[in-house]
Formats: sequence, C-alpha cells, structure tokens
Amino acid sequence: MVWKIAAKEFLLNLMTFKFAVGAVACAVLTVVFMPILAADYRQRLETYSSEMTRNETELRQTKAYRNLRPTVYRPPAMLSAFSGGIEKQLVGAARIELDTVPELSLTERQGNPYLPVFSVFDESLIFKIVISVLALLVAYDVISGEKEQGTLKLMLSGATARHQVLMGKLLAGIATLSVPVVITFVIALVILLHSPTVALGGAEWARIGLMFLASLMFTLVMYQLGFLFSCLAKRSAVSMVLGLFAWIIFAVVVPNACVHLATQIQPLESQEQKEGLIASLQNALADELKAVRVDWASVERYEKSGDDDSFGGWHEKLIDQGWLDAERKSNASEIPIKVRYADRLWDVEHRHLEACFRQRQIANRLSRISPISTYENVMAVLAGTDLTSFQHFISGVRAHRNQVLDYVRLKTDNFSSASFLAGCTEEDAAEFTRLFRREEQAQNEADKAKAKQARETWAQNKRAQAAASLSLQDFPWFRYHPSLVADLQKAMPDLLVLVVTNVVLFGMCFAAFVRYDVR
Amino acid sequence: MIRQIAVKEVLENLLSLRFTLSLLLTVSLFAVCGYVFVNGYREQLQDYWKRTNENLSALGGQSDALYKVAFHKQGIYRKPQPLAVCAEGDEKSLPNFFAVNAFTADLPRIKGQANFALPHFSSLDWVLIVSLILSFAAMVFTYDGICGEREAGTLRMVLANTIPRHEVLLGKYLGAMVTLMIPLIAGMLVSLIIVALSKDVSLAPAAWSRILAIGFLSLLYLSIFVLSGLFVSSRTGHSPNAMAILLLVWVVFVILLPSLCRIVFEISYKEPSPAELDRRLEEVTKQLWDNHEKFGKNAGSMSGNLSDPMNNPPARARLQNAIVDARNDITDDYHSKLLAQAFGHRDFARLSPVVMYQRAAETFAGTGINRCANLYKQVKGYGLNLKEFVRSEDSKDPQSLHLIGPEHEMARSWRAISHNPVSFDAIPKFQERDFTVAESLRLAVWDVGLLALLNVALFGAAFVSFLRYDVR
Repeated sequence: MVWKIAAKEFLLNLMTFKFAVGAVACAVLTVVFMPILAADYRQRLETYSSEMTRNETELRQTKAYRNLRPTVYRPPAMLSAFSGGIEKQLVGAARIELDTVPELSLTERQGNPYLPVFSVFDESLIFKIVISVLALLVAYDVISGEKEQGTLKLMLSGATARHQVLMGKLLAGIATLSVPVVITFVIALVILLHSPTVALGGAEWARIGLMFLASLMFTLVMYQLGFLFSCLAKRSAVSMVLGLFAWIIFAVVVPNACVHLATQIQPLESQEQKEGLIASLQNALADELKAVRVDWASVERYEKSGDDDSFGGWHEKLIDQGWLDAERKSNASEIPIKVRYADRLWDVEHRHLEACFRQRQIANRLSRISPISTYENVMAVLAGTDLTSFQHFISGVRAHRNQVLDYVRLKTDNFSSASFLAGCTEEDAAEFTRLFRREEQAQNEADKAKAKQARETWAQNKRAQAAASLSLQDFPWFRYHPSLVADLQKAMPDLLVLVVTNVVLFGMCFAAFVRYDVR
Repeated sequence: MIRQIAVKEVLENLLSLRFTLSLLLTVSLFAVCGYVFVNGYREQLQDYWKRTNENLSALGGQSDALYKVAFHKQGIYRKPQPLAVCAEGDEKSLPNFFAVNAFTADLPRIKGQANFALPHFSSLDWVLIVSLILSFAAMVFTYDGICGEREAGTLRMVLANTIPRHEVLLGKYLGAMVTLMIPLIAGMLVSLIIVALSKDVSLAPAAWSRILAIGFLSLLYLSIFVLSGLFVSSRTGHSPNAMAILLLVWVVFVILLPSLCRIVFEISYKEPSPAELDRRLEEVTKQLWDNHEKFGKNAGSMSGNLSDPMNNPPARARLQNAIVDARNDITDDYHSKLLAQAFGHRDFARLSPVVMYQRAAETFAGTGINRCANLYKQVKGYGLNLKEFVRSEDSKDPQSLHLIGPEHEMARSWRAISHNPVSFDAIPKFQERDFTVAESLRLAVWDVGLLALLNVALFGAAFVSFLRYDVR
C-alpha cells in the first residue's frame, strides 16, 4: 500500500506547476551559474599557477641560503564551484623567511577597497535557496490540502493505516525532490567536466558523492518541515505561510543573528592591543640585537658594499675573509635571536587568527539550529573551502617554515658556512683576501697594478663561475594536500545534525499525523 | 469604492496569520536592529573620538614650528553616522582611514577591520529588514489577491456589481500597502525609540527628513513586490502556482542577482592593479628627474650644504613640487579608476531592485561609497587648505626662504619653510561636511526614478492582466 500511495503521490507531484517551475529554475540556474563558476575557478587557478612559477623561478635563482624566501600558496579548491565557503575571503599566501615571522597575506583583503563584499555565490546557493523553497512548496499541502479536498478522509476510511499514508507521502516527497537534485548535480558535473582546468580524481568524486548525499538529506529535512506544518494546520494556506516564515527565519534571520551573537560572545582583542604587543616584542628584539651587534667599523675587510647590495644582493657577493668572519660572528649571535623572536611574533599573530577563527566557529555552531546553515557548513567542509581547511593550511605553513629552517640549518652548518651568507666558498674568500694582501704589499706601482689586475680577473672569473645558483634538489617544497578522511571527520558533526534532524522531524510528523483530525 | 475595498482588504489581512507572523518578525528585528546599532555606535563613536583626539594632539605637538605642521601626516578617521541604523551602506568593508599632509593625501585605507573569517553579511539595518523580510511579506500578502478570490468564488461576485476592475485592483493594491505599512512603521518607530532613548545617538533635525525619505523609499520598494504579486496573481488561475512563480522571482531578484552580478563583473573587469600604480609613479618621477634642468639650473642637485654653489634651492623646490604634483595626479587617477570600478559594479547590479533601493537608502542616510568618495575629496581639499595656511603663515616670517615644497630636509635644515611656532587654534582642522538633503536627492535621483518606473510598469502590467482576467 505504501508503494501505491508513494507512486500516486509522486506522479501527481511531477505534474504540478510548482514542481515544473522549481525543477526548470534549478536547471536554468545551474546552466547559468556553472560556466561562470568554472571560469572563476580557472582564473584563480591561473593566478595561482603563475604565482607558483614566479616564486619557483625566483627561488632557483637564489645564490645564498640567507636569501631563500619561499612563498607558499594555497591552491584554489577544485570543488569551490559547489561551495565557495570562505575561500575568497582569505587570500591564502604566506612568505617564509628565516628570521622574521611568516608574512601572512591570508587575511588581507586585496584589490579595490570600494568593491562591496557580497555573500558567497556558488552552486549550493541553489540548494540552500531554491530547492529548500521547492521542498516546502511540495510539502505544504500534502496533508492539509487533502483534508480540504476531502480525499484524506476517504483514504483513511479504508483499511489503509495512517503510518502507511505517512510513509507513502514521505517516500513520494523524497522521490519527487530528488529529481531536481539529480538534475542539478548532473548538469553541474557535465559543465564542470567540460572545463579544461578541472580534472576530478577519486577523492573529488567521493566528496561529490557525499555532497549529493548531504543535499538529499537537507532536502528531506526541508520537506519534512513542510510536512510537519501541513500536519499541524487545518488549511493549506496556513501551512504554506508557516513554512515560508520558517524558511525566511532559517535562511536569513538565523545566519545573520548567529554572526552578531558570536561577535558578542567572543569579542576580539583590539587591533591596537595586538599592534602594541608586536611593537614591544620588536623593541625587545632590537635591544637584544644591539647587545650582540658586530662593530663593522672595526672589521678589517677589503671588499666594500656596492651597487648590487639591494634586494638581498648583499648576501650573494664575493667577499673576503675578514668580512666572512665578521658576518659569521654576527649571524651566529643574531640569527638564533631572530628565529626565537620570529616564533614569538608568530604566536601573537596566530593568537589573533585563532581568535578570529574561534568567533567563526561559534557562529557556525550556533547556526546549526538552522538546517540551511548546517547544510552550508557541510558543503563547505566537503568542498575544502571552510575554516578548518584554512587552519590546516596555516599549520602547514608553520610546519613548512620549520622544515625550511632545518634544511637551511643543515645545509649551512647551523647558519655558519659561507654559502649561507655569501656568493662564494671559504677557500674563495681566503684566496680573495690573499690577492688583496698581495696588492697591498706590492712594492711599487707596477706591481700593485699587476696585482690589482690579477685580483680583478680572478674575481671576474669567480663571479662568472658562481653564476650557478643553489642546488635545491632536496629542498622541502611546500605541497598542500587536503585530506579526505580529515574533512570527513570534520563534516561528521554537521552530517549527524542533519540525520538527527531528519529523525526528530519524522517522529514529530508521525505524532502530528496520528493525531490529525481528518474531518 | 476603492476605499471600501481597501478597508476590507486591510481588515481581512489584519486578522490573518501571515500578518501576525510578519508583524512579530519585523518588529522584533527592528527592535534588535536598534539595540545592536546603539551598542555598536557607542563603541565606534568612542573609538572615533579617541583616535581623532590622538590625531589632534599629535598635530598640536607639531605646532612649535610651521614646517612641522606642513609635513605632519594626519590620520583622519571616518565618523560613524547616526543614520547608519537605517542604511549602514556596507561601511564596515569600506575605507575608513585617510592620511594627509599639506602636500599629499594617501590612498584611502581600511584600518582595524572586523573579523575577516566571518561570513560577509550586510549589517542588520532597516534596509536589510525591508529588502529581505518585508519584500517577502509583500509577496505573501498578495500572491492570492486575485486568483485566491477567484478560487473562493468571491471575485465574480464583486465584479458582477457595477464596480469597475481598476477600482478593485487599486483597492487591493492600497489594502496591501496599508497592511505592509503597519509592520514597517511600527518597526521603524520601535527602532527609533530605542535609538532616541540612548544618550549616545543624537539625531539632527535634518535627520528626520532623511528618515522620512527612507520610509518613503521603502514604500516605493515594497510597492514593487505588491504589484508583482498582483500581476502574477492575475496571470494565474491557482494561488499555489502564483506563489511558486513569485518565490522564484523573489529568489532570483533579491538573492541571486546581486551575487551573480558581482561574480560576472569580477571575471570580466580587469582591476587597476597597485603594481601598475607603482610603475607609473616610478616612471613619472624618473622622467621629471631626468629633465630636472627644466626647473632651473641644478634643480636636481641634492647637496645638503646651502652655501654649495651647485645648489639652487628655488629650482629644487620647483622640481620637488612638480614631482609630488605629478604623483598626486597619478594617484588621483588610480583612485578614480577604483571608484569607477566600484560604481560600474553597482550600476551593473542595478538589474536587481534591491540594489537600487539599497543605493538610494544609503545615499539618504549619508553612508556608503558616495560618502567615502566625498570624504576623500574633502580630505584632499583640506590638504590644499593646509598648504595655503602654511604659505600665508610662512610669508610672515622674514627668515624663511619661502620655498613651500615637499622636501622635508630642505625645510628642516635650511628653513625653506618657516620654523616659527604657530598657534594651534589657527591651524585649520579637518571637519567632515555631510551631503545636504538636496545633494543626497540628486545622487539618488536615478535609483528613485528607476524604482518609480518599475512601479509604473508593473502597475500597467497588473492592470492589463487584470482587465483580461477570466474571473469565472
């Protein structure tokens, strides 16, 4: 009997005008949205690749380890077309330096400050807004409408049990609504796969499968909500109005209110406080550095700084022994202090970031009372564009910084070898000094000129030889790998909330329908 | 007769569940809006005065020498607007800091941004409530205005009498509008009472006319949805069908279209890049340096010794002034490109009535992009005033070389600009001037005009549809 009711309801639903409008709207919107989203992804991917290439080229031209300053980038998430999350709000690049805090351009909004920041635009918007309304529209007159027409009492006057009617109607509802869900996903995937930059791997397919499941569960929640209102109201007009107001509360009021509440519950420390802390740390650093500073005036050195000193050129020069020793001494005392302070500064920055993230987490948790927000969270986690994926990236940046630090430490014998701070080896420096000395000790002008000539030729040859940059064969390149299992774990609470909401709503629908007066 | 129909509609609506729900939802949101605003405004205002006083005391610290006043970079912050309760105008994400001295004004910046990780919702203000909640309610009130009566069979009874159709339509329209005005006005009043009761917000007399204008604008906007509701209702036979179409229209125009416009605009419009600005600045500086002789003999000499025969201070000051002027022009050009992009985006997003309404409302409230652009213009004007002040004060000092130029070192060590102290009270201070009501009206005229036009078009469509409607 359940199947018969379900089949009848399903066919009836398919022929309704609202279903046609909803399904066509979903299809048309996806056809309009997806190419734009794919083009947007392509554009961001191109920017990412060109930045990566530029960074790698720059790194490969480095001649001294002191100048090794890689920038790491977070690739745009391939599935961001499905759910944009907060990806566009965060820029996702960090510059790793040995002795300063990683310069996080994660949080800076770049570009035109006058452009308004709009809410995210993605495929899940269609589900959040269009399909959820459609679900309510399909469900609002399921019971109250039949009561108004008088068909409900006819049906229940037979041997059909109420739970059979309920199950039949629920099954029909989910079957009806899965049609636009399937259409939307299929169209979206077809368009996405035709985009030249998108290559979906196994993990992506698994994510899309889970997104599909989550979408179905969310649609069921909205349908059951409409069903519940239909069971609670005597007239279908009333159940529709109730459903629509519930929808506007869930779609507009709750998400907005949660953000406001989160900022009240967990206020951020002021920018000035953070800046003050950073300034005091920097002052302390300057004081410590002053105490160990090498007095360059007293260093006996031959080669002086010149035109090529800017932009790190200082550390890629051919230098003499006196200079090398002084640099070494200075590095041995300064670098550990700088590294220590970089860590402390990073802690301050990180605390601020964490506070921002915590606020967002609170907003997310609070917004779970709205199934629309819960669904949005699940989709963002599965698409890899949510907050946690950025936390993952940031911890990746920190780990990478330590790796680079260890790499350079290992390569340069704890920042002391010549290759750390100069464009020459120790032997070269000794030779360079010897040539200078010979020039200095020359007895007459002719010898001096000859010695100078010899030194300059040698230096020229050396510079030509030294044109080769550092070999970065075993350099720990940064690779960002979003992990499916970890994301799944993070999506679990929200998925569970959707499941539990479905179960609770089912129970409520059952109780309401059993007590429904069909007369 | 129109009145009778309207009164009947209003009374019927007042007794309905949808009215109760809309009233509860709207009034509570307006109340929350007022409360949230008052709290936020207090903090912002304290912050603003703290920073402004810091800026003024820093300026006061420079008044021991005129040249220091000229070179001191003043930090000017945007003042929170009391009418932001009506339309916040996305000010949270707009530039709020302007640095200026007598020679140059930096590009506007955003300082002390709110949490970047939070979703970018528009602040809770009247515009948000009207544009999302009340527009939705407007549809819910009218979706069955015509077809519902047809289903109930009352429409043919009404029209069987001598009442012409346009009177029925007008009556229904007025009835729905009056019904919507109740939650709107009640909400606005609640919000205003909360704002007025707080000691921190003081509304100037001119603000009331602006509030009235925003109220009128809100009605104009809501009327679009009422008319769309009547139009769709008189094109369909069944009220659920009308609801389905209206929901779709609402979702597309209110929610999807503004976001869609943004992303399409982003992909298609090339942003003026800061790197390009730097390159142009560098180029023009180099070009002027290369041709420094144009400004007088040895204009490019950077010797620190005044008695050096190679030095030509007047020519040097002319060169430096020319460089700063050229750089200022390029920065201005870049800034106008940024603005053009933002305005272009907004014009593009005008496809949605929500955007028209938001733009017009923020213009009346004195917030938003127009206000920021105007503020920056005033800051630049203030820089020029300050320069004039420095020039006139400097002319009183016989010891000064009277070379008002942007080179700090010349002014400091050679007395190119007077070193005499100036009275702090005499130094011009920055004072923001808000748009007058007439200026706001002029800025909003297009949006208001478009909203009115949309109303007329929809009324025509509804009227024609209803004339041809089969009431049987």
